[in-house]
This record gives sequence, structure tokens and C-alpha cells, in this order.
Amino acid sequence: MSTSSLIRYSVMVQKELLELVRSFKLLWVPLVFVLLGVMQPVTMFYMPLLLEKAGNMPEGSVIDIPLPTGTEVLAQTLQQFGTLGILVLVLTAMSTVSGERNSGAASLILVKPVSPFAYIGSKWTSMLLLAWGALSAGYLAAWYYTELLIGEVPAKQVIGSLLIYGLWLSFVLTMTLLFSTLLKSPAAAAFSVLGASVTLSLISGIFPKQMGWSPGALSGYAYQFVVGESFASGRFWLAAISGLFLIILALTASAALLRRSPAAE
Amino acid sequence: MNDQFDTSQLLAIIAPVLVIQLILVIIALVLCAKAEQTRGPKWMWVLIILFANIIGPIAFFIMGRRNDG
Repeated sequence: MSTSSLIRYSVMVQKELLELVRSFKLLWVPLVFVLLGVMQPVTMFYMPLLLEKAGNMPEGSVIDIPLPTGTEVLAQTLQQFGTLGILVLVLTAMSTVSGERNSGAASLILVKPVSPFAYIGSKWTSMLLLAWGALSAGYLAAWYYTELLIGEVPAKQVIGSLLIYGLWLSFVLTMTLLFSTLLKSPAAAAFSVLGASVTLSLISGIFPKQMGWSPGALSGYAYQFVVGESFASGRFWLAAISGLFLIILALTASAALLRRSPAAE
Repeated sequence: MNDQFDTSQLLAIIAPVLVIQLILVIIALVLCAKAEQTRGPKWMWVLIILFANIIGPIAFFIMGRRNDG
């Protein structure tokens, strides 16, 4: 890559970041993640009280729910991010390429000396910055509250699971970018990505031996890592490498698709 | 600590959650007021943002605006 294309790429990234700020995504997406992260330890902590006040328990019945350990609460938080968090991220990212293609903005940009790679790459960079920022903010907030209310969690397990989970999120978002270039309708792109990611992680959860190498298993490894369970590290590295490989492949494929047809036909 | 829940402790724990929700509602309302066109009538979105907890502002951010740019 020559210096001039690097400069163009950085200009494009700046434009994407400006757009994140202008549309307030940079503010509200992390806030939603922080909210999700804080809710989990707080509801777990107040669960006995909630049941006592709201449930129709007969007088004098003793409710004895063991308070979950800190690591369990963090694993539950990750599961919250896996449903609502991924939903929010995919829905905000679903029209990144197809929206600009349908409105004609993409072809306006691509007649300038901007390569499809720089275009896709800048979208990808800003998307991942938003996702990693939101995930870290939410997870650290959850960690803080868990330590405050429930119990200690070693920093190593938190940071390790954050990195593993971030890789899974990056994989899902890169697939969103690919489907957004592939399909004209943003809703169809979001639907196929959500369906595919749910199926993939479900299959790798059911057949850990056969499908443990697939990126869909990454979220499972993150839960296991934070709880402190040991897992087959060989299979984990395979999953991480196949995830990275598929991310690069999807980026190349979307750039190639964009080069062939910059505007919606 | 577990068998005694006093209100001030509850408030101290819940306060950040409420503040974040309030910020989300305010951003959504400001954007809704500034938007030229919303998908569906504006007063409907104001009601959704105000009364559908958490989900309301998120729904507006994602689908409320016609051409988000």
C-alpha cells in the first residue's frame, strides 16, 4: 500500500468517525452496553428481595437462592451482550454499505480515487472501534458492579474473556458488512446475519468436538474462560485463527463485490 | 448485608442506571425534535421514547429516522 492510499484511507476513517459522532451512535451504543452490563449484577443482587416483594409467596415461606459467584454473573453479562448487544450492533450496522449504495453516495465516493478496499476498510474500522468501545465499557461497568455487590473476579479472566468475546463480535460485524454489500435490503442483511450467528453458535455449542474450531464456538470459550473452566486450548486457537481468516476473507469479498457494482442496480 | 435492604443503599446502587436511562431518553427526544421526518407520526415516537423503558429510545435510534446520516 502506497502512502497516498494510506492517507486516503485515514481520511475515510475520519469521515466515518465523524458520522458516528453526528448520528450520536458513539454515545448511545456504549450507554446501552453499560446499562446491560450494570443491570445483570444489580438484578442478581436484589433477586431475593424482588421475589419476596413481588412474588405471591405464602406467608412465612423461606426463599433460599444461593447468590451466584462473581464469575457466573460476568458470564451471564456476556450472554446478555450476546443477545441484546449483538442485536443492537447488527441493527445499527446493517445499512452501512447498502444504504449508501441505494442512495447513490457510494458511487459518488468511488468515482474519486478511493479504492473499494479503503472504502470497506474505513467502514470496518469505525464499526469495530464502536463495538470494542461499547463492549469494553459495558463489561468493565459489569465488572465494577460485580466486585462491589457480589464478589471478586480475577482481572486475568475478565480481560481474557473480553478479548475472546471481542473477536466473536468482530466476526459477527464483519459478516454484517459482507451481507450489507451482498444484499440490497438492510433488513434482509440483519436478518441473515443474526440467523447465521445464532445457528453457528448453537451448532458449536451442541457439537463441541466436531465444531469447536468454528468461530461460532468463540462466545462459548469466552463464558468458559471467565468462569475459569479449563477448555481445549488447541480447539480454541483453531477457532480464533479460523475467525480471523474468515474476517479477512469477508473483507476481501465485500471489496471485490463493491468494485464490480458500486451502485445498486 | 444481605438480610437488610435499606433504601439509601438501594438508591445509591440504582442511581447510575437511572441516570443512563435518562440520558438515553433525552438524546432520543432531542433527535426526535430535530428530525425532519420520522417513520410514523412524531407524537407516537415521543410516547414510545418516554414510556417504553430502555427499548423506546433504542427503537427510535434504530428505526425512527427516515434518513439517518
